[in-house]
Order: sequence, then structure tokens, then C-alpha cells
Amino acid sequence: MSEDKRPVSRRQFLNYTLTGVGGFMAAGLMVSPLRMAIDPVLQKEAADGDLTNVQLAEGDITNEPQRIDWEIDQVDGWYESKVSKTAWVYKDDNGDIVALSPICKHLGCVVSWEGSEDYPDQFYCPCHDGRYYKDGMNVPGTPPTAGLDIYEHKIKNGMLFLGKAQPREEA
Amino acid sequence: MYTMKWIQQDLQQYVQAKAYVDTIIVPLIPFHFSDDASLEKDAFQREVLSVFMRELEKEFSGRILLSPDYHYLKSADKAEEVKRVRSWVEDSWAQPFHHIFFMTVDSSWKKFEQDMNGTLIWLPQIVTESMQFSERQSVVHSQVQQVGEFIRSYWEDDK
Repeated sequence: MSEDKRPVSRRQFLNYTLTGVGGFMAAGLMVSPLRMAIDPVLQKEAADGDLTNVQLAEGDITNEPQRIDWEIDQVDGWYESKVSKTAWVYKDDNGDIVALSPICKHLGCVVSWEGSEDYPDQFYCPCHDGRYYKDGMNVPGTPPTAGLDIYEHKIKNGMLFLGKAQPREEA
Repeated sequence: MYTMKWIQQDLQQYVQAKAYVDTIIVPLIPFHFSDDASLEKDAFQREVLSVFMRELEKEFSGRILLSPDYHYLKSADKAEEVKRVRSWVEDSWAQPFHHIFFMTVDSSWKKFEQDMNGTLIWLPQIVTESMQFSERQSVVHSQVQQVGEFIRSYWEDDK
């Protein structure tokens, strides 16, 4: 009867307790690396949240680049300000949406589609005659040394959302 | 976002790109404390001009350097002020600037234009307090485009 009363021996009890406590500590140690391992996933979600509705319906995007202006709230520490953004948006031959930054890669002027009558079908920078093809690649022999930055974009509920402008990788 | 103002960060870029930046814009801004009736209106026009300058400078930051504002008393004798403005721009002409523009909403400069040793751009006060924010924005935007065209026509002459 005494064995029924004490089904757990001292040895067993210590084993269980140490395993339990040890496991707990191991789990505690695992949490931080785990958080780091899946962090990119979380961050991507956050970046998605940064996309802004630019009030342009997908159906209104044509093959002809059009200038889109919108504003975002930029928080710099405690200082919140409105920053106006611009993009040139069109559909390429495959029907994919392309959103190009208008900031010239030379010295940062604002380029325009067909901004010069002499160069139809190109983006033109009025400051130093920099030129870009329709896909945003710089025309060799003009001042810019890289293609125009490309905005992250997605379509949600038929509206165009734009995020950050990213430099081209090959540049 | 690129800018070209008289601040440390931008001037670092300016020194590197000096060969490309050949245009300077000097905002001429009147102020006073004497006439309560027009205080608000004049201050508002100053704000409009600064928004305007910011937009313009953003469009052409690779070629235009925005000078610090030139402030003067609204009641000051313009003939005296012109002398001082000239001494400002003489220093700029000594640098490799080929184009100097003055930007103002004060029409009284117009009479002294030929003495100023630069090109005066006088913006009539079209934007008013009573306008909606979006209206103001679109007016300023179209003014920036027009003034931009004007400045570009000077650059065309260089070629």
C-alpha cells in the first residue's frame, strides 16, 4: 500500500522537475532566435502596410506614362510632415504595371515623359538633358548613369497602391 | 528627396556638382510690424512664396541653388535696397553662376529691374487665404510649371 501512496520516487520527481525547468529555460533561449528567424516575414508585412492608395484605378492605367501625385505622412522622430510624391505610371507591353520615380539619377531634377519635343517616347530631364527610355533605363551618352528608380506597387480592390522607390539592382 | 538649399548637407552636394549648378534664385521677402491691418496678409504671402520656392527647387534641384532669403522692410527705400541686392549678387556672379533670378511678390521691385543685375520674376499675389488647401496647391503647381518654363528658356539660350 505504501507504494500506491507514493507512486513517484524521489529520483523520478527530481528528474521530472529538472527536465521541466531545463525545458523551460531552453524554450526561453529559443524565443529570441526564433523571432529573428521569422523577422523578415514580419517586416514584409509592415512594408506592405506602407503602400499608399494613390487614387488611380487600375483600369485608368494606359500604355502612355501618366504623372501621378500623392502625399504621404512622414514621421521623423516627433516631427510629422506631409511629403508630396510623384510617379510615372503605365502598363508595359506585357500588361504589367510600371511605376517609375521621376527623380533624375544625375542630380535629382524631376523628369517628364516626352518632356522635350526632340525626343518623343523618352523621359527627359530639363536640367542637363538627361534622357531615359520608356522602361526607365538611362540613354547612354546622356548625364545619368543609372535607370530611374522603381516604385513597389500592388493592386488592391482595383486601385493602385505605391510604396517606396527602389534603385535598380543591376546599376 | 534631393534639394539644393543653403544648408550643410545640400552644399556638400553642390560643391561636388558645381559644374552643373549654374543658376541661383534669391527670394526677395518684405516684412514689417507697423501696419496691423496688412500684417497677416503680408505674412501669408511670405508663406506662399516659400511653398512656391520649395516646389520649384524640387523640380530643378540639379541645376538651381536656392539662396537664403533676402529680407527687407516693406517701407524701406528701394533705391537703397537695390544697392544692397547688387552687392549680394556680385558675389554670386563671381562664382560660376550664369543665371541669377530674383523671386518676389512685391511689385515695387519692377521699376528697378534693370538695375538689379539679375532677372526679376514678379509673381502677382494670386493665392489668397480664402482658397481651399487643394486650390492653393494646384495654383502653386501651375505657377511652378510656368516659371519653370521661363527659367528653362534662359537655359535654352545657353546651348
